[in-house]
Amino acid sequence: MADAIAYSGLSKTYGRGRDALTAVRETTLSVPWGQVIGLLGPNGAGKTTIIKMTAGLITPTSGTVRIGGSDIRRDRAEAVRLIGAVLEGSRNVYWPMSAWENLLYFGRLKGLRGAEVRPRARRLLTELGLWERRHQVVGGFSRGMQQKVAVAAALITDPRILLLDEPTLGLDVEAARTVRDWIARLARDEGKTIVLTTHQLQVAQELSDRIAVIREGEIIADLPTAELLARHAENRFEVRLDAPLDGLRASIPEGARVSEDGAETRIVLPDADTGALYEFLDRLKESGAPLTAVARAQPSLEEIFIRLVHDEPAGGRVA
Amino acid sequence: MTTVTIPVAADRGARQVRLWANEVGKGMRLLRRRWPMAVVGVLMDAAVYLGVNFFLGGGRIVTELMVLTLPALLAVAIAQVLAVEGSGGIAEEINGGTLEQAQLSPIAATTDVLGRVTALALQGLAAAAVLATGFLAVFGLHYEPHPSAVVPALLIVLDAVGYGLVIIALTVRVASIGAITHVFNMVIMFFGGMIVPIAVFPDALEAAARLIPTAVGVQALNTTLAGEPLSAAWADGTLPLLLAHTAVFVAVGLWAYARNLRRAKREGGLSPR
Repeated sequence: MADAIAYSGLSKTYGRGRDALTAVRETTLSVPWGQVIGLLGPNGAGKTTIIKMTAGLITPTSGTVRIGGSDIRRDRAEAVRLIGAVLEGSRNVYWPMSAWENLLYFGRLKGLRGAEVRPRARRLLTELGLWERRHQVVGGFSRGMQQKVAVAAALITDPRILLLDEPTLGLDVEAARTVRDWIARLARDEGKTIVLTTHQLQVAQELSDRIAVIREGEIIADLPTAELLARHAENRFEVRLDAPLDGLRASIPEGARVSEDGAETRIVLPDADTGALYEFLDRLKESGAPLTAVARAQPSLEEIFIRLVHDEPAGGRVA
Repeated sequence: MTTVTIPVAADRGARQVRLWANEVGKGMRLLRRRWPMAVVGVLMDAAVYLGVNFFLGGGRIVTELMVLTLPALLAVAIAQVLAVEGSGGIAEEINGGTLEQAQLSPIAATTDVLGRVTALALQGLAAAAVLATGFLAVFGLHYEPHPSAVVPALLIVLDAVGYGLVIIALTVRVASIGAITHVFNMVIMFFGGMIVPIAVFPDALEAAARLIPTAVGVQALNTTLAGEPLSAAWADGTLPLLLAHTAVFVAVGLWAYARNLRRAKREGGLSPR
């Protein structure tokens, strides 16, 4: 069975001559069915270009994109049946039309009949909490509600593949959480294949089975999320306390890294010496410090991302 | 979750018709939301037309001239809706990202744009109907049309559709199309027979004016509105020229739209500007 998405030697260069700008270079990558892949990269790295080439909205300079085995350029009608997309920086839906009219329009646009679209539109709007306001124009909705309508429109034909380019961008905390929970549900319960770009690395870490880091149009890392985190786990111990450091500074081993976040203190010991760890824990016990965790030091995806983007040599690929 | 099966190839033709109808429906829904703008457009056309007639009449309305130029006003109303609303609509869709979403469907570029212009043509016809009803009622204009007048009338609408298609295609390629559209519309207004019939122009100017969208159609229509059969319009060369003009504009418009869409995809130009 063909992969959900397969890029082969995919490149995109905008402009010509001196003004030429290569946005994506020789990208070869496959996404199996049901996988959530997070495409991470700084602004201008080429994430949106990849998403749009996947959807057939930007024509590659070279290489191919296959969706469920169908070439997006040659078998467009076949390929786009499998895709739903929420694109960055776009309204995605018609603001002068109501949520209901939008879903009916986009469902029919994909080739479905009204009778097939209506029950599905009803269900999506109900689940997203928009049913009562279905006949109001989308332009009058809050940003979060507008994004929910865009997500619903992308899902109206139950596509097996979702392309989500910064789906939580510009949303308030609650709306972002709703959209995030929905993405998690779609991946977990419905087995959707999802390509996700986001600058919110916590969201990417939470939702993605796999992370691909892009820098200047090149994929410099491509690993399952757990493996990426494990590879960057440090050979040191980390101790967490539910208290400020205050009177404990003298007890901290030399070379330890200390960070405080509100009431929580994180201390990364200088090495993996278990003797030194027990010694330190004894001192904490004596002082009555409220210990919350002892673990192998694990940098966050954000820390790993920054290291990869800034330190990984050009031309290398972690995979 | 219920799995929805989308038919693939079996009824491709019927599906394109459904997709076209879906585009027409969308266009009509969007029109419903901006009807005040359409009303303002009709009032502006009527005011300009009356003002020019009053000016040419030296301070009075010349109904004899109006009988000859009213068909051109109606043609201008349709052409303006197609060009201005068509161009504005597609620009808004590019900026809003909905044109990109439309590409994520099996709809052919030509079906998509034909759906858009069909809705606009209906809007233009509604505007023309309001103007015609108003002027006929208020000024008591009288026509004795030959039944075949419906043929050049329909061809004028198609010619205006062709013009709209060309402008829409240009909008996909040229970001600052607004000024160009305005100039084209003014040319149609002044040299398309709305001020005076183009037959009164010097020969060279009349020949050039006949190439302007809807102008030669108005000449053919005026022939049949005067009670002459279609054969008279054929014999004086206006009907063949109208057929050719319409065919060329529609074909060029469809071709240019599909081509500019492909080009925009190569250049990333479908994204918000």
